[in-house]
Amino acid sequence: MAAQPEPMGFYTDTTVCIGCKACEVACKEWNQLPSTNGGKNTLSGDSYDNTRALDGIHWRHVKFVEQFTDDRKDGRWLLMSDVCKHCVHAACLEVCPTNAIIRTEFDTVVIQSDTCNGCRDCISACPFGVIEINPVSGTAQKCTLCYDRLQAGKEPACSQACPTQSIQFGTIRDLRDRAQKRVDQLKQMGEQRAYLYGADDKMLGGLNSFYLLVDKPEVYGLPPDPQMPSRNLKAGSWLSALGAIAVGLMGVISFRNRGAGAGEDRP
Amino acid sequence: MADSDCIVVMGSNMAENHPVAFRWPMKAKVEHGAKIIHVDPRFTRTSAVADIYAPVRAGSDIAFLGGVINYVLNSEKWNKEPFFKTFVANYTNAATIINEDFKDTEDLNGVFSGLAPAKGGVPEWPFNGATNQYDGATWQYARTKVGAQGQGAAATAQSGETKVSSGPDGTKAPATPAAAPAPAAAKAPIGPPFDALVASAVRPPVLKDETLQNPHCVFQIVKRHFSRYTPEVVEKTTGCPKETFLKVAEAILANSGADRTTSFAYAVAWTQHTYGVQIIGACALLQLLLGNIGRPGAGVMALRGHASIQGSTDIPTLYHSIQGYLAAPTALKKHDTLQDYIAAEIIPTGYWANMPKFMVSYLKSVYGDAATKENQFGYDWHPKILGDHSHMAMFAAMNAGKVKGMFCVGQNPATSVNAKMERSGLRKLEWLVVKDNWITETATFWKNAPEVKNGQVKTADIKTEVFFLPATQVAEVDGTFTNTQRMLQFHHKAAEAPGDCRSDTWFSYELGKRLKKLYANSTAPRDEGWKNLVWDYEHEDEAERKKGEPSALKILKEINGFFTEDPARHCVGFGELKDDGSTTCASWIYSGVYPGVGKLLADRRTPDPPGQPGAQLQWGWAWPANRRVMYNRCSADPEGKPWSEKKKWVWWDAEAKKWAGYDVPDYIAVKPPTDKAKPGAAGMDALPGTAPFIMRPDGLGWLFVPAGLVDGPLPTHYEPVESPVPNPLYKQQTSPVYKHWKDDGNKLATMGDPAFPYVITTYRLTEHYLAGGMSRWLPWLNELQPELFIEISPELAQEKGIKNLDWCKITSPRTEIRAKALVTKRMRPFKIDGKVIHQVGMPWHWGYEGLSTGDVVNELTSLIADPNVSMHEGKAFVCNVQKA
Amino acid sequence: MNTPLSSTFFSAPPEWGWLIVLYFFVGGLAGGSYFLAVLIDFFGRPEDRPLARLGYYIAFPCIVLSGLLLTLDLTRPERFWHMLFDAHSFRLMFKPWSPMSIGSWALLVFGLFSLIGFLSALAEADRLKWPAARSLRPPGIIGAIVSVIGGLLGFFVAGYTGVLLAVTNRPIWSDTPLLGMLFVVSAASISASLMLLFAEKSRWTMPGVRALHRMDAWVVALEFIVLIAVMISLGPVFRAWLSAWGLLLFFGVIVVGMLIPLALFWRREWLGALNATAAAVLILVGGFILRLVIVFSAQGV
Ligand SMILES: Nc1nc2c(c(=O)[nH]1)N[C@H]1C(S)=C(S)[C@@H](COP(=O)(O)OP(=O)(O)OC[C@H]3O[C@@H](n4cnc5c(=O)[nH]c(N)nc54)[C@H](O)[C@@H]3O)O[C@H]1N2
Ligand SMILES: Nc1nc2c(c(=O)[nH]1)N[C@H]1C(S)=C(S)[C@@H](COP(=O)(O)OP(=O)(O)OC[C@H]3O[C@@H](n4cnc5c(=O)[nH]c(N)nc54)[C@H](O)[C@@H]3O)O[C@H]1N2
Ligand code: SF4
Ligand code: SF4
Ligand code: SF4
Ligand code: SF4
Ligand code: SF4
Ligand SMILES: [Mo]
Repeated sequence: MAAQPEPMGFYTDTTVCIGCKACEVACKEWNQLPSTNGGKNTLSGDSYDNTRALDGIHWRHVKFVEQFTDDRKDGRWLLMSDVCKHCVHAACLEVCPTNAIIRTEFDTVVIQSDTCNGCRDCISACPFGVIEINPVSGTAQKCTLCYDRLQAGKEPACSQACPTQSIQFGTIRDLRDRAQKRVDQLKQMGEQRAYLYGADDKMLGGLNSFYLLVDKPEVYGLPPDPQMPSRNLKAGSWLSALGAIAVGLMGVISFRNRGAGAGEDRP
Repeated sequence: MADSDCIVVMGSNMAENHPVAFRWPMKAKVEHGAKIIHVDPRFTRTSAVADIYAPVRAGSDIAFLGGVINYVLNSEKWNKEPFFKTFVANYTNAATIINEDFKDTEDLNGVFSGLAPAKGGVPEWPFNGATNQYDGATWQYARTKVGAQGQGAAATAQSGETKVSSGPDGTKAPATPAAAPAPAAAKAPIGPPFDALVASAVRPPVLKDETLQNPHCVFQIVKRHFSRYTPEVVEKTTGCPKETFLKVAEAILANSGADRTTSFAYAVAWTQHTYGVQIIGACALLQLLLGNIGRPGAGVMALRGHASIQGSTDIPTLYHSIQGYLAAPTALKKHDTLQDYIAAEIIPTGYWANMPKFMVSYLKSVYGDAATKENQFGYDWHPKILGDHSHMAMFAAMNAGKVKGMFCVGQNPATSVNAKMERSGLRKLEWLVVKDNWITETATFWKNAPEVKNGQVKTADIKTEVFFLPATQVAEVDGTFTNTQRMLQFHHKAAEAPGDCRSDTWFSYELGKRLKKLYANSTAPRDEGWKNLVWDYEHEDEAERKKGEPSALKILKEINGFFTEDPARHCVGFGELKDDGSTTCASWIYSGVYPGVGKLLADRRTPDPPGQPGAQLQWGWAWPANRRVMYNRCSADPEGKPWSEKKKWVWWDAEAKKWAGYDVPDYIAVKPPTDKAKPGAAGMDALPGTAPFIMRPDGLGWLFVPAGLVDGPLPTHYEPVESPVPNPLYKQQTSPVYKHWKDDGNKLATMGDPAFPYVITTYRLTEHYLAGGMSRWLPWLNELQPELFIEISPELAQEKGIKNLDWCKITSPRTEIRAKALVTKRMRPFKIDGKVIHQVGMPWHWGYEGLSTGDVVNELTSLIADPNVSMHEGKAFVCNVQKA
Repeated sequence: MNTPLSSTFFSAPPEWGWLIVLYFFVGGLAGGSYFLAVLIDFFGRPEDRPLARLGYYIAFPCIVLSGLLLTLDLTRPERFWHMLFDAHSFRLMFKPWSPMSIGSWALLVFGLFSLIGFLSALAEADRLKWPAARSLRPPGIIGAIVSVIGGLLGFFVAGYTGVLLAVTNRPIWSDTPLLGMLFVVSAASISASLMLLFAEKSRWTMPGVRALHRMDAWVVALEFIVLIAVMISLGPVFRAWLSAWGLLLFFGVIVVGMLIPLALFWRREWLGALNATAAAVLILVGGFILRLVIVFSAQGV
């Protein structure tokens, strides 16, 4: 039996991203994904972001956050290439009723398009808003972490295309190491805001695609505290049962104490 | 750039337009904390990853660089550290004394001595666009004997534009320095060999003051010239806050010296001005002062545009130069015979003294066996130019009905500068061939152009016959790319071209074959060239031959050079070239790329082992002679020792008695640092072993440029031709010698015209490519940048009542276009001399063909140009913006 | 950007639309009616049996319609069976921690039970000539077992949808654990109302009708309390309802669907004969709007 490969994933250093979107295009090319409205898109007016979000035909998405003071004394343009986080505890996988979503031997999360029936539960479950229906296949789709390429021993298309190594691919162990060094370096150079998002087990057991950020997660459109959907399962179920019991009791009481004036039984 | 300690991106948006090359600055930043500085009117994706962003108003770069020069010259560090003085005194012309009659802009209110109205060209070609012109006689080096003039360097556009009445005495000032014939030229001995002719052109020695104190020495002139570029003047001219400017200047200085280097990267935001060459010159001057030339991590990096645009100037599509930057023979200079040409163009001291070898080998490559010593190697058959034949001049001529037909191979002029005039020119052609991958705007100008759509022009009235030939894409042919680093990389055909698509070489080859056939029986002397032209590139491969595709390798072999008597023996480098016809070489600078059958050096892909210093010499092949850093003799001190361990690159190995290093030394391998210049000698003997700039007649880097530039020996701040502000530095408003092709469709706004109050610049987006032929057909790219927009600051938007995504009307003195507003704080108003000046910007990728269409931004631009290189001023002009 | 109200605001809407709103409503009716029918079967008088039968008559078509709506809502409806069987191995597909998975099974099994209830009701009313089917309802022992299980399943079908919404990461839905309870209670109120409407229409006056009437009022009051509890439990996320949806919730659900019907129960004289009918209609409308607001408001933020 072949040895289980190590968990693989991405470390994305947003401080060196130049927003070139090569990753977005490389992903589309490799996965042959269609374009918004056949390429006849309209200007969003939201900085240089015209694809707006991750969805079934955008498995990578580059975010542009303009931060300028009115006098322009201070200004930043935060650029970040977003993708499925390949959560170790994956919300999408947890709720999927068809088992279309699986965990691969690389510890990545993949939706099997031939199994998915489009119930869309995973869409509402993913805390990062990663999944959407691809109108061509009619199924839920997202980044596969290039499962096909990984199986062939190749690097994912997006990280390979990234000219600045903002997206780095490798074993999680190795990436966490590299990322921590970069954070230390940035801090030493005076960038005290640098930190890693999702690099340890605390967030959903660890994100296999984690980030180096220099502002609060929500600035990048990331949840500060993503949770598993099942957190509500127990309480929700018990409370529903309680509701049922209450209703049942009301019914029993109502039907036991009924007043006089029985009518005719004539169906 | 990976070795730089500081990288200044100025005049380019490197991250957006050269994202793959930008990996090197990012590597420098991540691996050793290099500082990245971006100087740009807009906060761009380059600014986003820069350590310092300095905003400047478009067109004010010389003021900024002048400010840095002034800051450096007055800084304690520069005056104290011996490195700078040693570098400048030994490797630049700082000590050289200039003609006492030279008058600087300080003396003449912003112009140099020698300004006069333009004389115009020959009557056959009145399309040079010149307004005024300089006589550079007073800019020359002072020499021991009177009557001596400086020497021409690389030919510039204008160097062939003015008829020169070349008297044999040569004392009469020539119109351009390069045209100065040597006094002895008339009685020059006939070659080959041409050594005597070259030797006879050697000038008396120049006067120098090694103490740099003489008021007429270059150093003192430079110091005086830039003394008015104070931080305050920088702020009021560029709009960049003084503190930000000082931060930039400090960072550049702090990262220069014996063990630190700073590099600059620029592209077309420095070239697309009427004084673009001077901006680059200002940077070169600064880098020479800082010792940032010819050393690892140093330099002035020209980021070239189209893939292989470098190749297209090396093996030129330029009109004024032939292979390897040899001047194109012109009818306007005394270029009547090969001897005349050599006498006029030779730089007798330094490496250019070998020029006759390159020229003769080139002629042999064109005319083969027919080129003999007796017929001057066919020099008479070679075409000559008549004046400015650059893009804009050609379209001016076209508008005047002077041009019959046009081959448009990989260009899209219907969207080019002053697009309306470009299209009106196209309408005057009898025929037009468009060879492209896509049906471009140029291919359909007769039916889809705005003036046809709005009824001003009727298709039926257009007589131009348009042919469209589908072109192959790069992956469908064998060939080479020459990149920004002058590196050639071979690419192999990866896919079969669809349908009737044919390569561009196929087209030229077929056209050449047919023309040869056409002229085969001609007895006219002017057709001799066609009859003798060597034209044999039959493909080795049967299938390709059937399609008519020529062999890329055969063409490369001709470029590389071989021995005439033994064509199987390829030249291994330009050192082997001879001026007697025994070698054949189309482009001397590429000699050595293909030194033998099966040895295609451009095909190499071996990187250096990681963690070791090296120049990646086994990856591809860079001209000249596989050198990766040019003028790298500078990386060693005058004695030949590395300036520092950290910045070691090339050095003199005293034991082996030759130059050694990580890179191929850009020097005569065995010329020791102790070598003294031999007075009166020609060639490299004329230079001492300390002179690194072997292509210059004095072997030095020129702070002051006595020859080769037609708009002055020193960079001076002028306003763009169209500007809302008076020149804050001089009375002279614009470059006195810019080019303007006057026409009703090419009107210009006067300074401060209230109808056009805003500064506008045009530029690119990562997501699109140029006129859009290569990107606007691709859905994947269109969705990323779907529509044309104009970037405006919230301040201006509020003033004009424009909201984000509103449609706007943008008007220039030429015409009006529409675009959606992208209101962003990345744009800002500038305070220029106390007045608020708004700056707007537009990407220019759109047109009326493709999946994503939009107005052509170049409808707004005008046919005006830099006088040296005829480059338009698309980076700074004026407009008005209104809500549509 | 300000501190977000909840980390749930970064998820994407699944675009569950009208089909799902309708399903939530119809599914609630199915489960609720069945449960009420069972309740009447156990605690009602013999005269109430038609009322109980009415419950079974409602439950079955509603559950069939539910399955149809759910299937139609899939973007690949032909693969509806992937919910029940693994698409590759054809093994049973059952994920107890996924409400959608157990919900699908519950729907199927409850469908079976409501079919049984439906058939036995038909048999009892002599509309179906299959006397044996009668024993599938209480009071017989088999009938008792069947209907207890079915009743519990009915509650499950009515309530799991709320839990399903909670077991996501959408704002509102997953910011409170009370939606299941709300849906259960609401299922009872709308089902009772619908049964009352039919009873009213047939001018039934058996004692069960009045009992059901009273129960409905109690349940609506309970529903009101649960809804207020939902709002409180949302904490800062409640701000998401400071919108048009919130207005609709207030007027459409609380005022129209709860307060007015409650008032009508208390003040019987208001509309006279029409009083009960009006109250039932309003409760049904309110129940529908409740699901509408909950489904759509969480996807519009
Ligand atoms: N994606 C992409 N890449 C390209 C191209 C493309 O079309 N798309 N084109 C290629 C070609 S042919 C070329 S020539 C290069 C061009 O490369 P660049 O020169 O980098 O391209 P531009 O976008 O034209 O201009 C760069 C920047 O100059 C700024 N600018 C404008 N005026 C001034 C000024 O006066 N001073 C200074 N300092 N900055 C100014 C603009 O705001 C802009 O950000 O790019 C090449 N690469
Ligand atoms: N206002 C303004 N104007 C500018 C500029 C600016 O910054 N501002 N930039 C200027 C600059 S730097 C440049 S380089 C020019 C570019 O201007 P153009 O060269 O006119 O524009 P391109 O779109 O690059 O046109 C090249 C064409 O070649 C085609 N092509 C690609 N590959 C091949 C091939 O292998 N064979 C053939 N036959 N065709 C091929 C493409 O489809 C495309 O249509 O524009 C200039 N114009
Ligand atoms: S990010 Fe979302 S889609 Fe990706 S694995 Fe995590 S939960 Fe699933
Ligand atoms: S939409 Fe597809 S992948 Fe997502 S939960 Fe439903 S079946 Fe699973
Ligand atoms: S890993 Fe593959 S599928 Fe995922 S974003 Fe990158 S290219 Fe796309
Ligand atoms: S390819 Fe790399 S640098 Fe470019 S947008 Fe993607 S992550 Fe950023
Ligand atoms: S388009 Fe080509 S040349 Fe330009 S940056 Fe990308 S890879 Fe380099
Ligand atoms: Mo270019």
